Amino acid sequence: MLSRNVKDLISGGLLLIFGASVTLYALANYPVGTPGRMGPGMFPVMVGCLTIALGLALTVYAWFQSGEMPKFRILTPVVLSLAVAAFALLIRPLGLIPAVVATIVISSIAEHDFRPVSLVGLCVVLSILVWLIFKVGLGLPISLFNWPF
Amino acid sequence: MDIFSNVTLGLEVALEPTNLLYCFLGVFLGMLVGVVPGVGVLSAIALLFPLTFALEPTTALIMLAGIWYGTGYGGRTASILLNIPGSPANAITCLDGYPMAQQGRAGVALFMTTMASFIGGCIGIVVLMFFAPVIATYALSFGSAEYFSLMLLGLIAASSVSEGSAIKGLAMVMVGIILGMVGADMYTGTPRFVFGHMELMDHISLTALAMGLFGVSEMIASVRNVSVASAKKAPDVSFKAMKPTTDDVRRSWLPVLRGSSIGTFFGTLPGTGVSVASFMAYAIEKRVAKEPSRFGKGAIEGIMAPESADNAAEQTSFIPTLGLGIPGSASMALMLGALMVHGIAPGPSLINDQPQLFWGLVMSFWIGNVILVFLNVPLIGLWVRMLTIPYRLLYPAVLVFICIGVYSVNNSAFEVSLVILFGLLGYTLRVLDFPIAPVLLGFVLGPLMEEHFRRALLISRGDFMTFVERPISGAVLAITVLVLGWLLLSATRKALQARAA
Repeated sequence: MLSRNVKDLISGGLLLIFGASVTLYALANYPVGTPGRMGPGMFPVMVGCLTIALGLALTVYAWFQSGEMPKFRILTPVVLSLAVAAFALLIRPLGLIPAVVATIVISSIAEHDFRPVSLVGLCVVLSILVWLIFKVGLGLPISLFNWPF
Repeated sequence: MDIFSNVTLGLEVALEPTNLLYCFLGVFLGMLVGVVPGVGVLSAIALLFPLTFALEPTTALIMLAGIWYGTGYGGRTASILLNIPGSPANAITCLDGYPMAQQGRAGVALFMTTMASFIGGCIGIVVLMFFAPVIATYALSFGSAEYFSLMLLGLIAASSVSEGSAIKGLAMVMVGIILGMVGADMYTGTPRFVFGHMELMDHISLTALAMGLFGVSEMIASVRNVSVASAKKAPDVSFKAMKPTTDDVRRSWLPVLRGSSIGTFFGTLPGTGVSVASFMAYAIEKRVAKEPSRFGKGAIEGIMAPESADNAAEQTSFIPTLGLGIPGSASMALMLGALMVHGIAPGPSLINDQPQLFWGLVMSFWIGNVILVFLNVPLIGLWVRMLTIPYRLLYPAVLVFICIGVYSVNNSAFEVSLVILFGLLGYTLRVLDFPIAPVLLGFVLGPLMEEHFRRALLISRGDFMTFVERPISGAVLAITVLVLGWLLLSATRKALQARAA
């Protein structure tokens, strides 16, 4: 246990930064207008200020509470993000099946223990499923394989 | 039109082969999702959301709704057999369901809760059929000021009353509203917060947001964390083992009626939703019981009341969603999102303008609930085996479906990359103990609120008193102030207690 609620202090700080940036960015870039004829900036500024207020309240409460350090996973979010990124990058140049296989292979790294047989099995089964559901069943206009060169 | 012609119309729509098929598909998937821990109902609805773009709006809604109430039937399976809730609403069922399974009465527990869910669901649908049109008729006279106040109340209640810190819930609503601002301003067309990405002019894709916030972030938290059922000894789920004793039946019917009433009531309120309903039902059952000491040791009342409350609440949560166009939970916001994608504006005129949609959907609830009863009991053996699929094989598959689902909406790789952003955002919020569902609620309601806020003030020439002077709007705002005051009071009391301890 820590003497301050660190989790909520971080949360409050992030809210303060987020609310302040939204408010300032809106004030700098969009006309605010008058209540009777509001510009595109009015609502963002209002909501941004409320976010700042909530962030402040959270920070003040957290200062007087005890709590634990938040525990972030580092590897898992990175691996899963890379898996999605691989799909986004490969879907157009190479097509659906290569993108699917890349996503499965990369995302399976998050599991830590490497099992080649079940990985290959999963790739094959899912490729067939994807083909059946999205091409045969729904007829989506996505090509299965592309040759980019 | 009287209720009978409406029911006939609804049945005609619901019994169309396509609608029947998708109703079946929805409830089946819902039950599946409910059974498997680690895949939430929101992720499931978000996952299938893009599929519905290709469907008729009625069919789309029938399927999404089927997933929603189908989970109510599946969720208790894991609670009873493994002591792991399949979805949060079923957590309370573990308390008495798992002891029943240990006493060799798993079959009875599963069969009886199926009946509880069915009765709860039926009562919920009846209330929905009678109240949604009444509320909608009443709401037709609402202007922008009333709408703004109602949405404000809904958002504040939904984000702060349910669970965890009220401040954090409200903050998440703000984040959701801000995310909803990205794109062209509705009155002037000014691009807001797009930072040079023209893809964002048409606003952030609801699919990418929901999949990232719920699907991917849930996955990041669950990989290597979900305990898999090792199915040491298969529980006896033959038909013979499901036969309840006369004592079971005698003990059950009052709890089911009480549970259904509690669920029906809490389902209509924004923010309380199914989890609160099932917890309340359990607490009340324990209080009225002659021997409260039996609870926690396999009392059948302790599984019947929450399971019926759960399903009743799932049905009545459609009352504000379809009657007023104001969703009380993130799942309901997704339902409205599906409507808006098809160009149907949600609101009180929906029931009159689109009777085939509303009544078709409502009648499909009857069909879906009947399908669920007939599917659930014989398939219990299959569900037990489903629980043994390791998450290791499940999550890459879910990730692939998320990617394809988001991509297929607009054939846009950019939207797939947004999933990464929202996945990381969702995970960060999860670790910091922020509730995530309010983000989605704010995202859907935010643009509507801004529209009504600006229009109301345009009409009143900038006079803020319009929100207070109009009687309905004023009353709603007064309730909002009461809710906020109560929140402040309970938060202060909690803080003082924590200091004293």
